[in-house]
Amino acid sequence: MNKLLEIALGVVTSIGGFLDAGTMAASAQAGARFGYSLLWALLLGMACIIFLVEMSGRLAAVSRHTLRDAVHKRFGLNFSLSLLAVSMILNLLVLACEIGGVSMALQLISGISLQWWVLPVAAAMWAVLWFGSFGVIEKGISIAGLITIAFIVGAWKLHPPGPDMLRGLLPSLPAQDKTNYWFTAVSILGANVSPYLMFFYSSGAVEEKWDQSHVTVNRFVAAIGMIFGASIAAGIVVVAARVLGPAGIRVDDYHQAALMLTPLWGWWGFLVFVLCLAIASFGAGVEVILAIAYELAQSFGWTWGKNKRARDEARFTLGYTAPILLASLIMVTGIEPLRLTMFTMALTCAALPLATFPFLVLLNDPIYMREHTNPRWMNYIVAGIVTLACILAVVALPLQIFGA
Amino acid sequence: MDLIRDILDTDVLDRNGRLMGKLDGIVAELRPGRPPVLKAIELGLATKARRLHRKLGRIVGRRSKPFRIAWGDIQDIGIDATVKLEAEKTPVLAFEKRVRSILLKIPGA
Repeated sequence: MNKLLEIALGVVTSIGGFLDAGTMAASAQAGARFGYSLLWALLLGMACIIFLVEMSGRLAAVSRHTLRDAVHKRFGLNFSLSLLAVSMILNLLVLACEIGGVSMALQLISGISLQWWVLPVAAAMWAVLWFGSFGVIEKGISIAGLITIAFIVGAWKLHPPGPDMLRGLLPSLPAQDKTNYWFTAVSILGANVSPYLMFFYSSGAVEEKWDQSHVTVNRFVAAIGMIFGASIAAGIVVVAARVLGPAGIRVDDYHQAALMLTPLWGWWGFLVFVLCLAIASFGAGVEVILAIAYELAQSFGWTWGKNKRARDEARFTLGYTAPILLASLIMVTGIEPLRLTMFTMALTCAALPLATFPFLVLLNDPIYMREHTNPRWMNYIVAGIVTLACILAVVALPLQIFGA
Repeated sequence: MDLIRDILDTDVLDRNGRLMGKLDGIVAELRPGRPPVLKAIELGLATKARRLHRKLGRIVGRRSKPFRIAWGDIQDIGIDATVKLEAEKTPVLAFEKRVRSILLKIPGA
């Protein structure tokens, strides 16, 4: 019974981890511009992240060490700090996007410019981390994030054509706007396969004192949670395709995306969208901040853990305070959050090879994994993910320039 | 045991299980015609910087010195290394203590 409860809570948490400002933005643009034809990117991203998250959790449960720890030890200081540097830049940008997402939601509801909301939002995120324990932060925000199920309900009520959706599960080239199509596909993959999620997940497993008995729980949480999260993202694609696409709205900013639920529920639809954007971005923002602090602490050997008192892990606390300030400064400049989000999601792809390659080595290391090393078929899948990551890294920048 | 693979960059825990830092360096004495002897391990930013680049190591080394733990003070080495010392009584937590003194002024710390 306890394990079932753990799986249920873990699944809810995974939904929170999957859906953020990036996924919402990329999915809304994909649906509005290309109908169902980018559902394959969502499916591919979901498959990749299921495997990566499962392996991160398994490594943590079996070795009682985080992915970051293992990377530092097995790949050495130079590789570890290079990965950390890339990761920090990306995570700061992702955090700025999430702060921007919440601020934009507040702007949509209040009419007051998002720049005025940036610092209060950042302060609220910091307060949650300062006062909350890991369990409260993780589960509280994730349960609130269940409101995003509204997109699945919305998609269901709009009666999307089944055959068109099925066709969308296979890659196809559109007649026009090909570069933007591939840019959006790369952004969807970047939004879904976020490196921070793997580091956050494995740190969370250690925080919650997972051991070998959690290997099965981890498997269910990773698979069901990510499928559930991807279903919500698919719901956004479908709603955008049914509502925004036919109206000729291309989703160049969040104001346009906020209209997607209004044909269904009028003003309430607008409110639900705003709440979804605010909660998903806030939750993901808090997770990104924690991921930054975890990565810093685990790379430099600081005491870490959200279940400890701030005074007992001062450097870890500094590790989540400073990034909030830095990310806020990015958003205070008045940069358009949706553009920054799409740019960041595609940029994430450039870092994927560095973040995914260690899985090939670590998950086959018997010192860490004991009898839970990867079976051969899973190594082929990881090799496939690393290959895909390399391709994405190569095409991400040109697509940024020509397709964004 | 492979010194680089199995020891370098492991977490170093004190005798109470408190994390002290990463095992950033190994100090060995080279003896002509005889195998080298392991003398100590090093922790600290200066050692990290030196490993990244010699010049960077010199710059960082002017501001902070690495902390050495004698090889004999190592209790156990597995995925982590455990030493016989107490972290709070060593200089490795100097920065932690400085940040802590600031944090203690904030309500809820």
